[in-house]
Formats: sequence, structure tokens, C-alpha cells
Amino acid sequence: MLTTNGSLPLTPGSVGPTLGPTYFSAFGVDERLIREALSAALSRGGEYSDLFFQHRVAHNFVLEDGSVNRAFKGTELGVGVRVVKGDQTGYAFTEDLSLESIREAARTAATIAEGAQREAPERFHVTSGLPSRYATERRWDHVRPEEKLPLLTGLNDRTFSMNPAIRKVNITFGDEMSAILIADSLGRIVEDIQPMTLLYLSCVAEKNGEREQNTYGVAARKDMSFYSKDRLDLMVQEAVDRTMILFDAVQPPAGEMPIVLGAGASGILLHEAIGHGMEADFNRKGTSIYADKIGKKVAHPFINIVDEGTEEGARGSINIDDEGNAAGRTNLVEDGVLTTYLHDSISAKHYGVKPTGNGRRESYQHPPMPRMRSTYMMPGPHKKEEIIASVKKGLFCTNFTNGQVQIGAGDFTFYVKNGYLIEDGKLTRPIKDVNIIGNGPKVLERIDMVADDLAIDQGGWTCGKDGQSVPVSQGIPTVRVSSITVGGRSDRS
Amino acid sequence: MSPQETVGEEFREIARSAVTTAQQVGAQEVAARVAKVREVGVQWRDGQIEQVTESTTRGLALSLYVDGRFASVSTSDLRPEAIAPFIADAVAMTRTLSEDPFRVLPDPTLYANRPDLDLEFADADYKNLSAERRRDLARTIEAAARAVPGAERILSVTTSVSDSRSEMFRITSNGFEGERIDTSFWLSGSVTVKDSDGRRPEEGDFAGGRFVRDLGDPGRVGESSAHRALARLGSSKAPSRVMNLVLDNRASGRLVGALLAPLAASSIQQRRSFLEGRLGETVGSPLLHIDDDPLIPKGFGSRHFDGEGISARQMPIFEEGVLRNYYVDTYYGRKLKVPPTTGGSSNLSWALGPESQAGLIADAKEGVFVTGFLGGNSNGTTGDYSLGVQGFMIRQGALAEPVAEMNISGSQLELWKRLVGVGNDPYPYSPLRTPTLVFEGVSFAGV
Repeated sequence: MLTTNGSLPLTPGSVGPTLGPTYFSAFGVDERLIREALSAALSRGGEYSDLFFQHRVAHNFVLEDGSVNRAFKGTELGVGVRVVKGDQTGYAFTEDLSLESIREAARTAATIAEGAQREAPERFHVTSGLPSRYATERRWDHVRPEEKLPLLTGLNDRTFSMNPAIRKVNITFGDEMSAILIADSLGRIVEDIQPMTLLYLSCVAEKNGEREQNTYGVAARKDMSFYSKDRLDLMVQEAVDRTMILFDAVQPPAGEMPIVLGAGASGILLHEAIGHGMEADFNRKGTSIYADKIGKKVAHPFINIVDEGTEEGARGSINIDDEGNAAGRTNLVEDGVLTTYLHDSISAKHYGVKPTGNGRRESYQHPPMPRMRSTYMMPGPHKKEEIIASVKKGLFCTNFTNGQVQIGAGDFTFYVKNGYLIEDGKLTRPIKDVNIIGNGPKVLERIDMVADDLAIDQGGWTCGKDGQSVPVSQGIPTVRVSSITVGGRSDRS
Repeated sequence: MSPQETVGEEFREIARSAVTTAQQVGAQEVAARVAKVREVGVQWRDGQIEQVTESTTRGLALSLYVDGRFASVSTSDLRPEAIAPFIADAVAMTRTLSEDPFRVLPDPTLYANRPDLDLEFADADYKNLSAERRRDLARTIEAAARAVPGAERILSVTTSVSDSRSEMFRITSNGFEGERIDTSFWLSGSVTVKDSDGRRPEEGDFAGGRFVRDLGDPGRVGESSAHRALARLGSSKAPSRVMNLVLDNRASGRLVGALLAPLAASSIQQRRSFLEGRLGETVGSPLLHIDDDPLIPKGFGSRHFDGEGISARQMPIFEEGVLRNYYVDTYYGRKLKVPPTTGGSSNLSWALGPESQAGLIADAKEGVFVTGFLGGNSNGTTGDYSLGVQGFMIRQGALAEPVAEMNISGSQLELWKRLVGVGNDPYPYSPLRTPTLVFEGVSFAGV
């Protein structure tokens, strides 16, 4: 049985004979198949090879115009075969788990190398005692729709009753069960079952002939117990408040000014300004603006930035990465000094360091690469109130929809959906719909106040890179950036 | 589709038997789609292969109409012993939902009059592109990039050669049957250069087509990638002010996409569109003149029928600034009580102007030539937008210093009325086929 805690079927510290695959044995995956597949993968002398089996079952239920009137279900089953030689990668996958089909994919991936057959491992060791960071009572694919649907209808009714200006409510509930098995030419086999759920509540309101729309969403690697009454109350309140305040909001003026970023979702700044640039593949290739900055001072000494996969139930948490490596905590910036890149096994080997557990992939259809998990800044010495009071004319930003970065030039953006003008140290008029653009290293230097109120945002953040999407988390305490370009409206011609 | 190629019988059989199975377990109406996509890619970096990928993905997708309820499901697990329980579970899931009287298959009369012209989707020579040829193309792009003047500033060159072939067969229980085979081939180059202040700007270019022989010149892709990257050296921020905006045809898709999204009937019906209620109204300058044209040979958005099976036809979207049509699918059409047109855009066909990009830049005299967007968003409900931009200052009708880390902001309703120039250069590598566009009075944020 492996349904009780959603992580590994093996108990921590279990010893004894190799048990082989557990979840995937139902799909005919055993050590013999793994050995023969790896043998084909190494047939032309690849230095390393791994297999990534995945079975994923995902559901979406959508409420629109008052009823849950559509559902989507997707099932994916497949295996990706990777062969590595130095920095070079061969990759192929198949959705047919027969030995014949996997062997064909393996021979395709093998062509990255040109040498003599290397032997596949004689024996395999099943990694046991993995952490349990997303224990669930039941797997999501075992929860019946009838248990999920009242969540949506309840939220809909409460949202409409909150304010007569609400015209439309859209709610999407999603859940996912992803079972993975990684087996490699070092003889490792490891399995994990990764749950995910998300809930988005979006509303449209009308007032004096004007219309505004906003969304509030949450996501976690948790089960139904995530949706507590308190959380649902907060969702309704936030979705309505964030929409209604837009009627009083303006696009702010254009140009450089100080901004204060509220605790939590503002972590998007770290994701774009430094996180991507610290992914080791860009640095190995010399294409990141941080490529020669390890050991250098990049920020005030009270600034510490980490990326970790360990927080219980967080969207960005993982027990192991998609190369089977432990996913602990990585310090990007310690006391203002740039310390460690985010590594997958290829970059770790390139730099001669241990992998940091950042090798992630969207699915069996893609090779892994260095990716963030949960990226945040540690608390600092200041207070939120003193930070806001310090700004004469600027912005206070609280909610965001999206961001983007140019790894090499360092320019990055994030889009502010809600916030306020700060005038003479006080929050005044609400603002909306403004893009903020800065340069990563310059903005890091300009984070000159950090509060003690760290919050990890629970939104459904998804990070895209080279066509692959992975779930991530982010967080930050309230901080001040002394100057950055606000893409507001200019009236100067 | 090419007349000589049709999808395999085994393929059709998976779809047909899925429809039968779904009906046996209680679905009244069903649409089934089976697709298979083969993709091959070579990524090359700094003198050697970085990555080779090769894959074939396949899947079955079903739309189920069960007792007035609707769900849509997909699976890549096509083992016969897996498909039947998958469908039974999906039908059971559909029964748990609320009834939805608006959810039906399209009126079968909309399947009629399917155009039968050859849209030249599929290259029969697809398999003739060898691994060696791909490698040579990738190597040639890098060599060309490294041969341009100023190449000593280049830190890294990544190139790629990729191609795909997809097969699709779709059938519905109310009489639709359609199939499609298409191919595409792409070359790309991406060049990172070292700036004097430590920045490492990256730029690139690409080219492609539906046929191997349309792949384009790898040397030109390499040169253009290097020129574009080197032109970014020494970029700075300009002061915040209202200026002319000349938008590179390669970049303008981002802005045009933001104009198209609010035209979807789902956005109209859900009151999330600033273009609701504006059919027949002037929403742009007379230069905003766009048809939706699904019948352009080799077009990346071309099709004989849309995702629901509705036969393709040309349709005006904007005529001299006046909004003429929304993108209406069957479901939201019924909710809005209007007839369906088609659920989404195919190719755009613009009324082109007489001038080249260089001519438009010369005419603009002063302003910013925007070559790329970075992040930002557009609020489809209100029309407010705010987008990061980079490009070059235009001074005395010529391109001057590079600018970056800037933004444009405003309202789309104002912006499209300020469209004062349309080029003669529709961008060939996107279904939006956007020419160079010129807007006056755009608010830029910088220093």
C-alpha cells in the first residue's frame, strides 16, 4: 500500500533486500526492464543515463454562471530516456511502456555518444527514507468529484452575497496525482508520489457603468484538508476586495521612483531579479549576468536569499528532484554575498560540486534542467511601518500577475495588479495595472530596507523556461527598493 | 492536406471505437480526436551539439455529452485495456456535474461546404532531413554568426534545427469527420554578447516553413542573430515622455494578441471584454483593417475546419477601424444568442501600407523603434495595458542608440485610434502576419 501518505511506499530507514519498483510494477516496470533499457541507452558509450517514468492523473472542475458545468480530466503515462556525455544530452521518450518501445527511445538518446557499449548496473538500490513533505490522507485520483464540487458552489454563493456589484464569478478547482520513478546508470531507483491542488476564484464587478475583474488563487501539495473554512473565507474576502478597490484605482505616473513591496507575493521580484540568473546552466554557458559573480558582494549585508524544496505542503516543495537527488536548501545570497548557483547533475559535474536538488522537468516529455523550487528572502532588521513611512513619493505593491527576465542583460519585469501610491510616508490612492521594470543586479543593490515579516505566498505560481512549466513558490518580507522604473502614464511630450 | 497523404486506418479506428465505447456507457453525443506528433530537434552550442531530442507523442481526446452534462478528457495511455475504463470513469465523472442546456455539438450544417483547396500543410519529403544535415545547418548558423564584424564581443552562440510532423483525425457522433497532416521546419540562432558594464545581452533570429525547401538560409539566420545581439551593446534608458512608437513586425504580435483576446465570445459573455457591445463601432484608426483568413497556403494558422469542425471561411474582423466580428464558438454563441463564426483566430490578413519598415522609421522622424517586449500585461476587461519594451531611439528619421528597461502604458481603446502607419511587410513566421505598425502619442516610462 502506498496511499496513506503520498510520499514513498518505504518506511524511513528501511533496510534489507531491494524491493524494486512499487507503484510502477502495475505497469510492468521491473528491474529487468530497467536494466535492459539502460543497457540500450549506454550502447554507444554514454557516461550517464537515467529513465524517468511518470503517471499523472489531473482533474479540473469549472464553475461558471452559477453551476459546475464542465470538467476536464487528463492522464499521462510515459518514460523519458536521457543519455549524458560531458555537457551533451541525448533525449527521447515514449508513451508505450513495452520493453521494445523503451529500447527504441533509448537507442535514439544513445546517439549523443560515439563509443563502445557501457554496461548497465547489475544490481539496483532503491532509495528509501525520503522526507515526507506532502503527506495526504488519500491520493487525489481516489477522491470522488462529489466531494470536490460543493467547494465551488459554496464559494460562488458567498462571493455573490458579499457585494451586489459582483456580476460574474468563475471558479476553477484543480487536482493532480503524479507518480514518478527515476532509475539511473549508477544503480539508483527512487519513486515518489507528488500531489497538487489549486483553487482560483475570479470575479467581475460593475459600478457606475465601469467594469473591473480580479482573481485570487491558492495552491499546495496538500489534500482536501487544505480547504479549511478560514482559507475559503479569506479567498472570498480577498477576491471581492481586490476587485472592488480597482474602481478607485489609477495607473500611477511614469518614471523612476522608490517602491515598497509587501510581504509574500512580492517574492516574484527575487524569482526574476536573481533566481533565474542563478540557475547554473546559464552560468555554465556564460550567458547569465551573474556568471562571474560568485563570492562577490551583490546586496546589503542584511540580505539573505534562499531556494529550498522543504516546506511542508508548499507548491514548490519536492521530496526529491526529477533526477532523484535530495532537494534541500540552497543559499543564493548570504549576508549580501552571492554564494551558490542552482544545480542539476550536469552543471554540478561541470563545476565539481554536489547537485543542489534543482534538476526539475515538466514531465517525461522533457529533459531536466536547473529550476527554482521555493525562493524567498530571510527576515531583516526593519519594520514594515518604518519602511512605508520612509518614502516621500512612491508605490506600495501588494498583488502581481506575472513577471519575466532576460538572463544575460539582467532586465526583468513584474506586473502589479494592486497597490497604493505612497505620499509623504502614507498610503493614499489605490493603483492598478502597471508593469515595473528593472535590472537584476542594480535592483538587488537598491534593496535597502528589509522588514521582519517574511511570508511565503500560497498562490499558484508556475515558472516557464525553454518551453517547460514547473510549479514554484516564492516569498519575501516587506522591502524597499530605493529606485526602479514604474511603467505608469507619462504626460510629458 | 496533401492529396497523396492520409492518416492511417489504425488511427481512425482508435477514434471510432472510442466514440462507440462512450455511447455504450451512456454518452448521447461524443467528439473524439486522435493525434500523433513527431518532433526532432538538435541544439548546438559553441562548436558542439548540446542536446538532441526525438520523440513521438500521441493522445486521444474526447468531448462527452452525457444527460445534458459535459466534460472533456484526454489520455496518452492508449493501451486497449486502459482506454475502456478511462472512458467509463470519464462518463461517470460527467454525470456528477450540473446540467448545461447550452452545451451541444455544433449544428451539422456548419460542417458542410468545407473548402477543398490544397493548403500545402505537409511536406512529403519530411523524412529526408537527415541527422547529418541537421547538424550541418546548426553548425552553419553558428559559423555565420561568428563571421560578422564585431564578433569578438560574442560570448556564446546557441543554434537549433527542429522539425515536426503531426497527424490528426477527428470524428463526432453527429456527422463530422476530418483529418490533417502537417509538417514544419525551424532554424534559430541566439547570440550572447559582452557589454562593457558586465551585462550580457542576448538576441536572436529564426526562420521556418512548412516545407524543407522553405527552411531559409542558415547563414542569414546566423548573421541576423549576431547583428541583433551586437546592436544591443551599450543600451540605456531614455527619459519618460509621450513619443511615436514604431513597432517591429516581428514584435507586434504581442500587442495584436492583446487586441484579439477580448474578441472571444467567452470574454464577451463573461463580461471580461472592453470590446463588448462595440460591433459596428469605430475602435481604431482607418488603418486598422484585418481579415481572419484560414485559407492562406502554407500559413501557420491555416485550416480547412476549426477545432469544433466548423468549415473554414474568411471573415472581416476590423474594416477601416470598425469592429465587424467576434470569434464565436457554438457554446458561447448559444449563451449570447448569436450564430457561431469560429472559436478562434486562424491567420490574420492585414490591409498593408505602401511603405517598408525603413520608410516608416524615416517618416516617424522622432520616437522609439520597439523591437521586443518584456513581461507586462493587458487587462482585457478594461483595455489598460502596461508592457516592458526595448529597441532603439529614432532621431531625425534614423535609428540611433539602443534603449532598454523601459515601459509603454495606456488604454488599448486610445492606442488603436493612434495607429498612423502600417508597413508592407507582414511577418511570415506567425499566424498573426503582422506588418510594422506606427502609433503616435504613446506614453513611455524610463528615467
